Amino acid sequence: MEDKTLKTAGQELSGRYEQLYTMLLDAIPSSVLLIDQNMCIVSANRNFLEKGQRTLANTIGYRLEEVFPTVILDQMDITKRIRQVIEKNHPAKGERMTYRAPGVPIRIYYYSILPFTWQGKVEGAVLLMEDVTEQVRLSEEVRRVERHLGSVVESASDLVLSTDKKGRILTWNAAAERLSGYPAAEAREHDFIDFCTDEDRKDIQNIFSRIDTRKYAQMKECPLRTKQETFIPVSWVFSPLKDSSNQTAGVVAVGRDLTERRKFETELHQSQKFAALGVMAGGIAHEIRNPLAICSSSAQFLMEEDGTPEFRRECAEKIHKGIQRTSAIIENLLKYSHPSTTTRTTLVNLASLIRETLTLVAYHANILKIDMKTSFPREPIMVQGAATLLQQVFMNLFLNAINAMPNGGRLGIDVKMDHPEVRVRVTDTGCGISPGEIGKIFDPFYTTSIVGQGTGLGLSLCYSIIKQHRGTIEVESVESRGSVFTVKLPARFGGGES
Amino acid sequence: MNEKQAPILVVDDEPEMCWILENIIRKTGLACMTALSAREAMSLTESNQFSMTFLDAKLPDIDGLELARKLRKTNAHLPIVIVSGYFYPDDPTIEGVLQEGLIAAFVGKPFDHDEIVSVITRYACR
Repeated sequence: MEDKTLKTAGQELSGRYEQLYTMLLDAIPSSVLLIDQNMCIVSANRNFLEKGQRTLANTIGYRLEEVFPTVILDQMDITKRIRQVIEKNHPAKGERMTYRAPGVPIRIYYYSILPFTWQGKVEGAVLLMEDVTEQVRLSEEVRRVERHLGSVVESASDLVLSTDKKGRILTWNAAAERLSGYPAAEAREHDFIDFCTDEDRKDIQNIFSRIDTRKYAQMKECPLRTKQETFIPVSWVFSPLKDSSNQTAGVVAVGRDLTERRKFETELHQSQKFAALGVMAGGIAHEIRNPLAICSSSAQFLMEEDGTPEFRRECAEKIHKGIQRTSAIIENLLKYSHPSTTTRTTLVNLASLIRETLTLVAYHANILKIDMKTSFPREPIMVQGAATLLQQVFMNLFLNAINAMPNGGRLGIDVKMDHPEVRVRVTDTGCGISPGEIGKIFDPFYTTSIVGQGTGLGLSLCYSIIKQHRGTIEVESVESRGSVFTVKLPARFGGGES
Repeated sequence: MNEKQAPILVVDDEPEMCWILENIIRKTGLACMTALSAREAMSLTESNQFSMTFLDAKLPDIDGLELARKLRKTNAHLPIVIVSGYFYPDDPTIEGVLQEGLIAAFVGKPFDHDEIVSVITRYACR
């Protein structure tokens, strides 16, 4: 009686356990198969049946190869692995398995095989398969994005780097390594300002300290100090580096090496100069041939030997004067056409620079019967700049004004101090610019000249040169009445303070 | 050469050039008058007869070629010679006006005096 009760209680208990076991088995998001030594399925949980679109009836008692596609079994060698587990009574390490049931998208499983022992004897094996399709997909996606971003930054020809809020270098891409000569590991021991010139440090510190208060990215051209202690011209864009909570965590700096552009600009300036010389050639030739003719004729008179001593002296004086005149013209030309290899700035007397430039265009203006009216202040007007570039700006403005007056007119040049700036107005009484065209005149290659007579680069160059000098250039024009170009440049006063 | 022959007109805004041409012309035995502008030249032609004229191409008031056209209107047979450093002998403009018959000859600056003498002999001493 007691035995019976115990047995019943035991049976009841094991029944409960069995139900619990079945419930758990069906509830877990993995597939579980119990396989016997003959490779027949003894039990399969709900997850397995659902994923494989099977029923208990066509699964239990069937051999593994009847339930699994043979391709997978062969490829993964699952049958062999199960046999080994059973033989050695030792679990097989987990591996990844790709499984595709008919009509279902590819699933990726992580599987492991455990020996099933009963009373010390191996009866079969449990095949555990966890569906990791989504995890694999996500982590692959993350890795792909990471790799992509990494390669974008690393393959960029621009310098791409990041710093913490204090300006300490955090990342330093391949372009930065190549240009600076500092490997990333070494760069990370420095602050951004260590790579700047002394003059730029204050500006850079300002940019960094205000980075999160600014709406837009901040730009600055400042040279990068290399490991060889040389400086590369770089145009930088600084933006705040935001963390996931949108707080500024540092600064992203993207820099473009301007060496090539500078070289190109220098070449452009030079070719523009020669184009201007070409425009002036007629005037210059005329201006040089006159004194040459005087010299030549005076020499011919001297050779005739029949002149009075006074006449011969007059001839010699004319030759001397003629040579001086020619030489002065050539000197001006040489000065102007000299390549501006350096864009280094010096203190420039703008008034005398403009005067010198005017002597060059005077021949051309004279031939076109253009009256020149100039007004200069008495005191010297100093600006900080590259003299050859500034001369080019005024040369372009004067030639444009002259070319706008093919039938003569008046060219006005008015230089005035307008504290703290110097203002240069170039006025002409020429054809003017129509309202529709006026917006385009500073665009590169915009030209109204006949093909071969103008490059269309003149005014766009003027614009970029004046901008480099922190100045402005503006135009007002009335069609068929004339134009006024106004250049404003920051003036420098004694002591060098701007 | 004939002292009574009409003088030669020289028009150049450069006084030195006028001085040179004047000296060359005088050596040929001809008389010479000079003008520094087209306006001056026009007024001289109103009261004088000239055997020929040397014109600079670039004058302060109007171009030498324009002056040539004006002179041609009142003096159909006046030989006109352009003396200039602005053009060159096979310049299309010069070739054009030579062909047209507006000018008799072109002399580029600087020149050999023989060139001037030979145009004088050819056009003024007829």
